[in-house]
Amino acid sequence: MSHGTTSAENSLWRDFLQSSRRSFGQMLRQEWYGISMAVLLALVILGPMLNVFLWAFTQRWRYPALLPTEWGIRFWADTFARADITEGFITSLYTSFFVTLLSALICLPAAYAFARLNFPGRTPLLLSFLATNAFPRFGLYVTIAVIFFRLQLVGTVAGVVLIQLINTLLFMIWIPTAAFQGVDRTLEEAALDVGASRLRVFIQITLPLVLPALSAALLLTFVGAFYETQGALLIGVPNVRTLPVVMILLINNQVVVQYGAILSVVLWIPSVILLVFAQRVLRGGTLAAGFGV
Amino acid sequence: MSQQSLFHSSATRKRNWYGYLLVAPPFLIMLALIIYPASLAVIETVLVRRNGVVQFSLQRYMDFFNTPLAVTNLFFTLRLTIITVALLFLICFPIALYLRFTVSRLSGTVQFLSLFPMFVPGIITAYALIRFLGANGWLERFLEVLFGYEGYVSPYLRPSGIVVGLVWEGIPITVLILTAGLSQISDSLLETAQDVGANRWQIFWKIILPLLQRPVLIVLSLNFLGIFGAFTIPYLLGPAAPEMMGPYMQRTFNNNLPSQAQVQAVITFVISALVSVFYVRAVVSQRLEQGE
Repeated sequence: MSHGTTSAENSLWRDFLQSSRRSFGQMLRQEWYGISMAVLLALVILGPMLNVFLWAFTQRWRYPALLPTEWGIRFWADTFARADITEGFITSLYTSFFVTLLSALICLPAAYAFARLNFPGRTPLLLSFLATNAFPRFGLYVTIAVIFFRLQLVGTVAGVVLIQLINTLLFMIWIPTAAFQGVDRTLEEAALDVGASRLRVFIQITLPLVLPALSAALLLTFVGAFYETQGALLIGVPNVRTLPVVMILLINNQVVVQYGAILSVVLWIPSVILLVFAQRVLRGGTLAAGFGV
Repeated sequence: MSQQSLFHSSATRKRNWYGYLLVAPPFLIMLALIIYPASLAVIETVLVRRNGVVQFSLQRYMDFFNTPLAVTNLFFTLRLTIITVALLFLICFPIALYLRFTVSRLSGTVQFLSLFPMFVPGIITAYALIRFLGANGWLERFLEVLFGYEGYVSPYLRPSGIVVGLVWEGIPITVLILTAGLSQISDSLLETAQDVGANRWQIFWKIILPLLQRPVLIVLSLNFLGIFGAFTIPYLLGPAAPEMMGPYMQRTFNNNLPSQAQVQAVITFVISALVSVFYVRAVVSQRLEQGE
């Protein structure tokens, strides 16, 4: 407060300060738990990610400056000029594509059968795919690697595709099975009654209804395979290097910080797409239900 | 599209035997890529060829437990797993309680933040944490510039680095399961308790905690299994020695010692199997109680 104000102004100001302080204090008292939790989580969860984003646009960052000393995107060109990174990107794209294609060809007909056909042992068979989650992942990969080594599949694309296929089975069967079950049968029967062929009913009625869930499953599979690191590292090295494996090598060799940061930003884009899409399709407690809660 | 309906047949009464034909490919793939390698590892590690005769023997396992490095790594893995599981619960339970009992814009933010790590691939998590926590990283800069603190010791390449990384990765699933468990406790039950004069503490200790036993058991065992078998985070954030079982197995395999790697893998199978008994029992008893 400056000295020149009148007493009336002064008391008005004091009232305002008091009332605003009270309401803010009230909010803090009611919400202190949530506010402190949100702030802590934001620091811990977003802090490291923001740091990587900053590094991706940094030319120079001296210690102990809190922000880059010199901004710039010069390292982007350098990053994508590196042969190991471009090759890794291409390798990742086609291995993930093969994994998704193979998984769809194998699993989607099975999902249709689980949803629509009546055969003895249907439920136990459907449950048996939980076995894909029954083993500690890396221990299982090691036992597979021992066999792949004997079959000379180590260091081949086929080996990487096969080991990544394991992760996809459960999702690629359970999500589409639920989708096929969710289709209202009366719609199909009505179409059959007015003379549509079975194939036409499937293409024009069933398929459009299950398409969102099917594409969610395909997307989860592709993105999951794209980021899969441990199987690709164990089976692929040294001949087949997917992008995550290249990144591990970059981290271990301690080369320029920006390469890893730029790669992280680029790698993360498919993940953001997944975030938006998965939220829309797999709403609510479906994920937790999948774990038996 | 809930999971419960997945197992209720909407199939026609007519029996379609060709269903087996459609189901066979993924089933056979699973047998070939999961059941066969795992069983082969068990069989090959307990059979020893002596003078041309194949015999049952636990020699390979005795060798494992007679190797100081192997035993150190196994107990290191167990200790770190238990610490991480406990920390995850202590961090996520308050978050889950808040999410269950508050509806505000702020609770939406808290939910978004706690689920966020689920959409960050492990390799990026590891890289981001190295930059953030490592020597001369952002955290050390903030501590020095804002608080003048110069004694920062980076957890990177230390056991604590593994714990931090695994907690970071484990928050979403822990919060999800605990929140789902808490949402099964109906509002009317809590209101009734309030009406008959129970205070907040009584409601928490006498109603919420007892009803939450199974979700807690599920989340503890599930986290144990995931963390015990972890590879990427311990490999990138942890020390060279002692190692967690994941990186240890990888190194053993790469050093061209496949049968030792098999022994290590089977030991992780056995420990995980012991823990999954708790998980399966909790899930089954929950299902039975819900009348499914």
